[in-house]
Amino acid sequence: MGNLLAVCGAEIKKAVSDAGVLVFFLVVPLLYPLLYAYLYGREVVREVPVVVVDDCRSAMSREFLRKSDATPDLRIISYCSDMEEARDLMHRHKAYGLIYIPSEFQETLNDGRQATVSLYCDMSGLLYYKALLSGCTMVSLDMNRDIQMERLGGLTAQQMEVQTMPVDNEYVTMFNPANGFQGFLIPAVLILVLQQTMVLGVSMLAGTEYEKRRKGQLALGPQYGNPLTVLCGKALAYLTVYFAVSAYVLCLVPCMFHMPQLWQPSTLLSFITPFLLASVFFSITLSSLVRDRESCFLLFVFVSVPLIFMSGISWPTSNMPAVWRYLAQLFPSTHAVNGFCRIGTSGALLRDVMPEYTRLWLLAGAYFMTALALCIRRYRSARMPEQAGTVQKSVSSM
Amino acid sequence: MKLKDSGVLAIACREIGRMVSRPLYGLSMILAPLFCYIFFTTLMKEGLPQELPAGVVDEDNSSVSRNILRNLDAYQQTAIVRQYSSFADAREAMQRGEIYGFFHIPRGLEHDASSQNQPQIAIYTNSTYLIPSSLLYRDMKTMAVMASAGVGRQVLIARGAGEDQAMGFLQPIKMDMHALGNPYLNYSVYLSNTLLPAILVLLVLMITCFSIHTEGKDGTAAQWMDMAGGSVLKAVSGKLLPQTLLFSLMALVYLVILYCILGFPHENGIWPMALASFLLILSSQGFAVFIASAIPSLRWSLSLCTLWGVLSIPISGFSFPVMGMPDALQALSYLFPLRYYFLIYVDQALNGIQFFYSAWFYVALVLFMLMPLTDIWLLKKTAYKYTYLE
Repeated sequence: MGNLLAVCGAEIKKAVSDAGVLVFFLVVPLLYPLLYAYLYGREVVREVPVVVVDDCRSAMSREFLRKSDATPDLRIISYCSDMEEARDLMHRHKAYGLIYIPSEFQETLNDGRQATVSLYCDMSGLLYYKALLSGCTMVSLDMNRDIQMERLGGLTAQQMEVQTMPVDNEYVTMFNPANGFQGFLIPAVLILVLQQTMVLGVSMLAGTEYEKRRKGQLALGPQYGNPLTVLCGKALAYLTVYFAVSAYVLCLVPCMFHMPQLWQPSTLLSFITPFLLASVFFSITLSSLVRDRESCFLLFVFVSVPLIFMSGISWPTSNMPAVWRYLAQLFPSTHAVNGFCRIGTSGALLRDVMPEYTRLWLLAGAYFMTALALCIRRYRSARMPEQAGTVQKSVSSM
Repeated sequence: MKLKDSGVLAIACREIGRMVSRPLYGLSMILAPLFCYIFFTTLMKEGLPQELPAGVVDEDNSSVSRNILRNLDAYQQTAIVRQYSSFADAREAMQRGEIYGFFHIPRGLEHDASSQNQPQIAIYTNSTYLIPSSLLYRDMKTMAVMASAGVGRQVLIARGAGEDQAMGFLQPIKMDMHALGNPYLNYSVYLSNTLLPAILVLLVLMITCFSIHTEGKDGTAAQWMDMAGGSVLKAVSGKLLPQTLLFSLMALVYLVILYCILGFPHENGIWPMALASFLLILSSQGFAVFIASAIPSLRWSLSLCTLWGVLSIPISGFSFPVMGMPDALQALSYLFPLRYYFLIYVDQALNGIQFFYSAWFYVALVLFMLMPLTDIWLLKKTAYKYTYLE
């Protein structure tokens, strides 16, 4: 037990005195979520610039355009005389949509037939599409009601409603009230930041240790004699740091950006424990691949991008090819993202996230075994350099 | 031609030796991008997610409600996996992640609709999963409107109106939406086209910086400079040449995957994108050399390059548009090579417009490439008296 605490203390001391590791353990988790929340802070795109070609130039067409301009989704930046001019503005990235009103628009409406407004959307972002479609649909529904009211004549608003919309509908976006990017992406980013910074920081520590031992600059004390003690001591050190970091990342950050937080403390704590345990042993396992301080950047950073997709937050899990669905199971982040999303934003209880919770414990167990095996390999020769007699006095000014 | 022990070519050969001697290079220059290419393109091979699991709460249980549900299930994107007996059950299923949304039909729908009491159908989706929730919403909303229109149309036709007149009354103004370049709203077109180059950019930035500063760490920097006869420009170009070739090959691989195998839109042919990809690699290398020269520490310059590479993914604006970001970040987006690549892709591959519209974006990439000219002389100083900083 004394040895375990000694290893743990030494590990924390190493981490604290190493600026590179501190960047991963503290600076990135502290700032990166803020940056992302700032980036997606506006949630949706408003006032998408559009151009208009109005071949009808009638009272009706002007009313349609005026109302479109007034929606929060769209902003008309130019009335063009023909399609050529409108297209040019779109090509110059001045506008992302085009509303075309044909010359027979008003005439068709007056005839009591169905008139068509054509929308053309730049597909460089799906949010433009969403804004253009929902803005114009809103206006058309509004005008449709007026037109119907006029034609029926002498009805109350209530009667009108029933006449034109015999069955009403309503839409409730649950758990992400703004239906926007922040509410959807940030919870996943938060979990991923925790796991990835831990992998990077732990790898950097392990890489440094490996480098120093290879160069004979580091002798390991007697407390490193038992691999199990070493593993548990290190794990305890990382866990201590990350319980504190998680409290900030998972509780404070969402609070600062007014994101939905429906979790109960006991649920979150009991869910996050197996996640952190699994991540710690996962990190220690991966860190054995690393032979020097800096290679962790090259090996592990890019993995974050596939990992965020593997969690199923963007592309739905139900539609992934089986091979990726199985591969995703190996990463603590996959289960943690899904669990945290539901606990944090939809107020799920531990029994609602049982499958994820169990799998995290299983992963923690499995990675504990692999980490232990690798520790035994690495520390079996803990005192070997001393026997070889090539060790200078251990330099502890890391 | 005889290989000399100095000059650009000799340094290039030396670099190939260094690259072969460490598996790290092969892993991050060949395997990592290949894995990501295969991962993203196979992950989203459906293009638009099909048969998303949804639930229903049918409290009415009438022939009308059953008809609505049957029709909803027939939509390509929606698969009704279960009926729940109450709202609470369905909500819990959503919390457990079994379904992405559900349709709630109230008791007395058929009766209320025929007696003109305007019943209300409700649509609930779990919007923490934005893509499936938006797609389900689209299907459910269409179904709800159609259910309503169906009742209305029947009433009108019964009163003697023609089909034309009926639709002219129920929906006087109709929207006709044209999604330019990507009419099926294919998500893979929308995401893979930028994600694959983004991964490559991240790796180029890191490898360039890493390979320059490991010279200092290994204590071989002085020898490296001597081989170039003290010309830092020669030293760096010799070093980066093999990397440029290998990365260009990797870029060629994604071009072939995206435009030849998957047949994603490339309206102006493959060449404008090939040029853009080649310039993207050179500009990323240029940017990394600029950073590596300015910051004489392996870790700090590598950290900055990594940050730039990771940040370029959201800030290029391919998923969340730049115009929706705070002003400070909009300004910052000009400093990322990937942003220009994305703009070129939109113009040349997606929209297929004339070359001159994108000319400035190509120029911007060239400028990134030339960035090291401003500070590369610092690198020489670093090389001769390098102190490795942990």
